[in-house]
Amino acid sequence: MHASRRNRKPLSLRALFLVCFMAAGGALLPAWGGNAAAQDADTLRFVNYRDVRDLNPHLYAGEMYAQEMIYETLVDIGPDGYRPCLAESWEISPDGRVYTFKIRKGVTFTDGAPCDAYAVKANFDAILENRERHTWLEMMRLLERVEAPDAETFRIVMSRAYYPMLTELGVTRPFAMISPRAMKNGSTRDGVNAYIGTGPYKLTKVVTDEYAVFEANENYWGEKPKIKRVVVKVIPDNQTRILALEKGEIDLIWGKNMLDADALNKYRDSGEFGVALSSPTSTRQIVLNGQNPVLADVSVRRALQHATNREAISRGVFHGVEPPADTLYARSVPYCDIDLKPYEYDMKKAAALLDKAGWKMGEDGVRAKDGLRMELGLLYNSNSVTEKTIAEYLQHEYGKLGVRVSLRGEEEQSYRDNMKNGLFDMIFNICWGTPYDPQSSMAAMRQRVYGDYAAQLALPDKKEIDAAITEILSSTDEKRRRELFAFALSHLHEDAIYIPLTYETNKALFSSRLKGVGFTQTQYEVPFSKMYFEGR
Amino acid sequence: MKNYVIMRLLATIPLLLGISFLCFVFINLIPSDPAEVALRIRQTPVITEELIARTRAELGLDQPFLARYFHWLWDCLHFDLGVSYTNPARTVLGEIGRCLPATLELAGLSLVYVIALSLPIGFLSAVYKDSWFDRLMRGFVFAATAMPVYWVGLLLIWIVSIRLDLLPTSGYGGLSHLILPAFTVALSYISTYIRLIRNNMLENMREDYVLYAQARGLKRRAILVRHILKNSLQSCVTAIGMSIPQLIAGTIVVENVFAWPGVGRLCIASIFNRDYPVIQAYVLLVGVLFVFFNLAFDILQYAADPRLRERKA
Repeated sequence: MHASRRNRKPLSLRALFLVCFMAAGGALLPAWGGNAAAQDADTLRFVNYRDVRDLNPHLYAGEMYAQEMIYETLVDIGPDGYRPCLAESWEISPDGRVYTFKIRKGVTFTDGAPCDAYAVKANFDAILENRERHTWLEMMRLLERVEAPDAETFRIVMSRAYYPMLTELGVTRPFAMISPRAMKNGSTRDGVNAYIGTGPYKLTKVVTDEYAVFEANENYWGEKPKIKRVVVKVIPDNQTRILALEKGEIDLIWGKNMLDADALNKYRDSGEFGVALSSPTSTRQIVLNGQNPVLADVSVRRALQHATNREAISRGVFHGVEPPADTLYARSVPYCDIDLKPYEYDMKKAAALLDKAGWKMGEDGVRAKDGLRMELGLLYNSNSVTEKTIAEYLQHEYGKLGVRVSLRGEEEQSYRDNMKNGLFDMIFNICWGTPYDPQSSMAAMRQRVYGDYAAQLALPDKKEIDAAITEILSSTDEKRRRELFAFALSHLHEDAIYIPLTYETNKALFSSRLKGVGFTQTQYEVPFSKMYFEGR
Repeated sequence: MKNYVIMRLLATIPLLLGISFLCFVFINLIPSDPAEVALRIRQTPVITEELIARTRAELGLDQPFLARYFHWLWDCLHFDLGVSYTNPARTVLGEIGRCLPATLELAGLSLVYVIALSLPIGFLSAVYKDSWFDRLMRGFVFAATAMPVYWVGLLLIWIVSIRLDLLPTSGYGGLSHLILPAFTVALSYISTYIRLIRNNMLENMREDYVLYAQARGLKRRAILVRHILKNSLQSCVTAIGMSIPQLIAGTIVVENVFAWPGVGRLCIASIFNRDYPVIQAYVLLVGVLFVFFNLAFDILQYAADPRLRERKA
């Protein structure tokens, strides 16, 4: 049968081969046309991993970079302190309780409504209507009343002094101003009618999960942005984003987790694309649970600090993109420029510490003391490849010291559950970052809402640390505040409860024609206003 | 025939009920409190116990399990699938309605690829068994089955979009955006169907009816197409009936790689966000699709194959 078939050739093989590929390839034809879309000279094509979502500035569900483009706050947080924004100037009463703002004249929302003191008050009223939602901000508990005696004066009265007040007013959420006309009967807690602010850009189009378009606000009171249009495409996959940049479909990738270190390293010296790294935004760390019987011994915690080679992690895992971290907060963070002696990498010292504390090396290479073996779990977020890599490295390193580490990766939400409930021996964590560090993140250490609380609970000086944090928040004396921060931070450092690993940075990869790519004090703000295209 | 269809339709009711209940049970077994996760997703900086309790009440999670199930079922029967936990401004039906067309486009073109490619290739591979073409295609089948979808997708983007500069890398748009993702989805199905058709054809070639047809002096082409191919396609039709819902439900990875705004991405985001109403609706949708296509293709075969009808009678 085979022979006969070969001889007869019932169908031309070549013909059928052609037909089947033409059938599939036929769809290819229209492609060439769709590809040649001309690019606008003033348009910047940005990318994000998810949709802009709900941009109501008084809630927390929207993308922050987009809220930063549309809305503004009373004050701005700059590199050297607070800067006027919608408030031209302000005065603080000597007792630190009353803040009087002079509202900038002539500023309007993009729907034409004036942004005067009455509009500011309407915003505060809407925020306060939903007060419970914002109790993470200490000031919410202390705020007594707000008033707008005339169109240019806005006043906040507090029950007592609170030093981070201006910082909290300067973060986009929840104190950004939306046009009162966009509110639903003066309320924003159940949504808004439109996303209307006073910022350098206005949102003109959103196609959910596909793209959003921002156009420059022609009536902007400040310096008008050179980039007239920002189109933000949604591309969830890290690799696809980079391929889209290579293809020239987007101009800029920007963010903390939008690029992995390998990719950035590849393009760093290519000249084809620009690469920019910010100063530290937040600290990547391992939190040790002081309630664990092994970790309750401070010598063990200190030994682990000495056994952690931060240099190697920074170089090996991050190609130097994230610098090694010596302390819980970088020295560039406000109030954190204090002299703490870093735990240098020294395996011998680590072993000596354990020997001295009575942790004897067993025959199986695991140390033990009074029948208690040095076996610890390290929990990481399984969505994070970086954490897994670091965990494997540390497992090996700590193993040399006689500490048996078992690794456990959990999907993000259960990882967070475990962290919050203190169900961990050692866990990866990232601190809140600018501008919340150190005041807001330290304030939160006192509440049972994060892993910090469980980790610190067994510390003998926990009460003192908490008391210092509480006093910091209400202190009006700058010098005293510095002392208290130094006290709390050096205690936490001595307690060795946090193993700092590296400082996270914002990373940007962009078309070489795009200039002025940089970073601000707020880790979520993409400073589009300063960017421009060369030669366009 | 009519009775058969009615019986089959009636049988789907307990099946769908079972699916919906199991789905509800399993979703509720997921650790993590959905109220707390919803607060995290809404990026509430500090989540207090009171806040969680209030959110639980808002979402109706404070009611007992069975009460919630029957409540959900009752609403479902009124075509109300609830609102998303993470974004209460959106209804689940609206979300599915927004995302489904993109996925249907993707699955539709994939199906065209599957049929247009696997049918001729499988046919030719069987006819020219052990020829260079057959060997090449066997290699292709092996490779296509072994390569992970994620990698294939990125490879295709790199070759077709970047190196050859023919198509856009990702995103939703015209046909040009659809070609690569649809091909990526189709690839593993193509290889499955090539094998299936090839093997069926080879088996059928050994049947007595082929020998009889040859004895009757029929032309070889007629025997191959009208007899062997026709008989070989029977199991393929059943398989296609199952593959269509699989194509619709199996686009999650591809949608992510190609930034395609379909239900797969909606589903995966909902799972990570513990957005129960959306997950439930998605599972129910996929369940209904499987039941429907299974039924439709059974009826189709029943109508097409006289042997099946005779056996029933």
